[in-house]
Amino acid sequence: MSEMRIKNATVYDPINGINGDLMDIAVKDGKIVDSVGGSAQTIDAGGRLVYPGGVDAHTHIAGSKVNVGRIMRPDDSRLNNKPRTKVTRPRTGYTVPNVYSMGYGYAEMGYTTAFEAAVPILKARHTHEELEEIPILDKAGLTLFGSNWMVMDAIREDDLDRLAAYVAWGLLASRGWGIKIVNPGGGEAWGFGKNVSGLDDPVPNFEVTPRQIVRQLAEANEKLNLPHSIHLHCNNLGKPGNYETTLATFDVCKDIKSKRDRQSLHVTHVQFNAWGGNHWGDIESKSEPIADYLNKNDFLTIDMGQLVFGSATTMTADGPVQYANARLLKARWSNGDVELEDSSGVTPLEYHPQSYIHGIMWAIGLELALLTKDPWKVLMTTDHPNGGPYVNYPMVMTMLMSKKRREKEMEKIAELTFDRTSIAGIDRELDWYDIAIKTRAAHAKVQGIIELGKGHLGVGADADIAIYDIKPDETDATVEFDKVEAAFRHAAYTIKGGEIVVKDGEITATPKGRTYWVKATAPADGHERMMEDLKMKFKKYYSVNMANYMVQDEYVEHPYVFETGYQ
Amino acid sequence: MQTVTLVPKEQFKISVEAETITPDNFAGKSADEIGAVVAYEGNAPRPLSELFEISVDGSADAADDVKIEINGNVNRVKRIGEAMTAGLIMINGDVDMRCGAKMKGGTITIKGNADSWVGQEMTGGEINVQGDASYYVGAGYRGEACGMRGGKITVFGNANDFVGEHMCGGEIVIKGNAGIMPGVSNKGGKIVIGGDTDMPGSEMTKGTIIVKGKVKDMMPVYQKEGIESVDGEEFTKYVGDVVVDGVGELFVK
Repeated sequence: MSEMRIKNATVYDPINGINGDLMDIAVKDGKIVDSVGGSAQTIDAGGRLVYPGGVDAHTHIAGSKVNVGRIMRPDDSRLNNKPRTKVTRPRTGYTVPNVYSMGYGYAEMGYTTAFEAAVPILKARHTHEELEEIPILDKAGLTLFGSNWMVMDAIREDDLDRLAAYVAWGLLASRGWGIKIVNPGGGEAWGFGKNVSGLDDPVPNFEVTPRQIVRQLAEANEKLNLPHSIHLHCNNLGKPGNYETTLATFDVCKDIKSKRDRQSLHVTHVQFNAWGGNHWGDIESKSEPIADYLNKNDFLTIDMGQLVFGSATTMTADGPVQYANARLLKARWSNGDVELEDSSGVTPLEYHPQSYIHGIMWAIGLELALLTKDPWKVLMTTDHPNGGPYVNYPMVMTMLMSKKRREKEMEKIAELTFDRTSIAGIDRELDWYDIAIKTRAAHAKVQGIIELGKGHLGVGADADIAIYDIKPDETDATVEFDKVEAAFRHAAYTIKGGEIVVKDGEITATPKGRTYWVKATAPADGHERMMEDLKMKFKKYYSVNMANYMVQDEYVEHPYVFETGYQ
Repeated sequence: MQTVTLVPKEQFKISVEAETITPDNFAGKSADEIGAVVAYEGNAPRPLSELFEISVDGSADAADDVKIEINGNVNRVKRIGEAMTAGLIMINGDVDMRCGAKMKGGTITIKGNADSWVGQEMTGGEINVQGDASYYVGAGYRGEACGMRGGKITVFGNANDFVGEHMCGGEIVIKGNAGIMPGVSNKGGKIVIGGDTDMPGSEMTKGTIIVKGKVKDMMPVYQKEGIESVDGEEFTKYVGDVVVDGVGELFVK
């Protein structure tokens, strides 16, 4: 295959400790190599900013709830419409873009890898059909286990081996990458019109608590030696005063020992879970105790779930919170029941800067990122499309890099916000290196894909490279934030696996990406007990036959199978 | 004053999306320049010169000094006058869907009939339909929270169902009859129906609906407030829709 050389690149590659060095990058057969011959295709970066291809560890880009969002929002489908070109298909949508647009939009910003953050096993086939059609990106899906009957029964019977075996089987059945837990136990309680109120509120009919679910799944995760830690959406999300639940949930996994070079707990979109106060009237930011916890502990990571003003389509496996949202805002609501596995909900909404509640939410996301000292612990996300669409990542990056940019945004936000948050007093401004961590390196580390050659530019890594039309040594990002945002929005080059897929912000090629999934071996006796239980569940409760349940290989045409397991 | 005359070269079989036909877009342009403006016929981009005979008389610096006259049948041409801010469009015939959508100012006069969604989400200006209008006069696009937000639509003939759906402001006058559920999900604005209609104002939270003719059926979601006089005529006033805590006013003979 072809060879390529990128010369005069100002490279930020945090995983390899490269901080703004002017250097050349050599690419051969889709991988980074030491050097290439003189005949290689050469791109002169001319001192411009070069990052590894972006990685998004938490986003919602495929599957049934995204599609429900599309169906519910014809008004969204008429935004951002672009006709087809010689290489791209037509594009529609802002918060819930069409399938192809998902890949184009990420690639234009220099992103090359994305993790779909909630895949119910029963709906995994649909998810993979969409993932397969999202061009350019490498993808993976996190499988939902948090309100699952098989999981809760195994936990109640205190059978960790059986639980681990079910997780391994569930990952195989869904071709999934890791364990996602959404409002543990709440999805099942929602089947009866209820919710769980906190970590120690037992799930109806199962008599296990969210605390047990989180703890046991974290232990099963380590038992199977999975590449990612558990990926947790806490209880009580979206309720004032929920920060106490969040802090208590952190503690549940405090003494879990990670077997790999990664955290043992990842808590996602914490912005929605760092609220103080007792009701909507006295809601306030509690990012400080959360950041404080992160500063004192090394076993966990979080992502921001930053809010972006404007239109959003909230979608989550947290069914009850969506019902509450829809009632509160008199908004459209769709509810889903995933049989023995989970619930879900979709509600479109609008974030208004004049609303102090939305203002506070906006502030919390940034506070979490800026008050936590170690940039590796807080990933930059908007929980697309819950906090806002991913196309706004460049704007969020500039807000992290520039106090002036934040102040400009604050001008349009309701006054009351600033009595209840600390954002106005935060002077910290992240640099190019920090942003590389927060948008690629830390995402790759958290998801355990560094060893697959993602999120960095070391020799042997995938040649996923983003070149942005800006020179870091000549640009003061704290002042020239508009210029920085424009550069991040449209990469000068995005290179995916050694192929130029974006040039000057335009898509030039649309290769198919890979889908990563994990094949884990489980303890043999646990597997036997699990299969016995599973066969009974299918016979008695599922609407589908077990033989028709598992995602077949035909649905994952470009797989990368990561093998691991119990030793 | 710049007068642009467009005459369709044929009876279009495939619908044409012509949001580019606006006074704003034509102001100060010659016939050749206007001819180069692109509209979509189906999925194919076509310059207007391939679709219309174009003549230009006089010139103008701004849209408010532009008059576009369309002579002939444009009943397969959609989105004429979309988002226009000023000027005048005269359509001497029938017109297809979404004429005057998102219009901000100026005037559109349709001598014939208008298809559905005339004045969709308009915020200002005036649309006069001298014939009949089809469904969703002044309504919102599918899924949109607000339909018409300002301006005025007058239909001299009849209108079909869902007049002013999701309307948030402005005024719609239907001189003839209207189909079922005018003002469904209204959040503001005023609808006056000269003739008969059926089930007005369901899910209305704000706004006013006046029906001068007969109401075939009332939705059972209104509270009677008594007799009130509007412009010298006596009406029974209702308030609702009570199911959604609405304070919309419905005047019925």
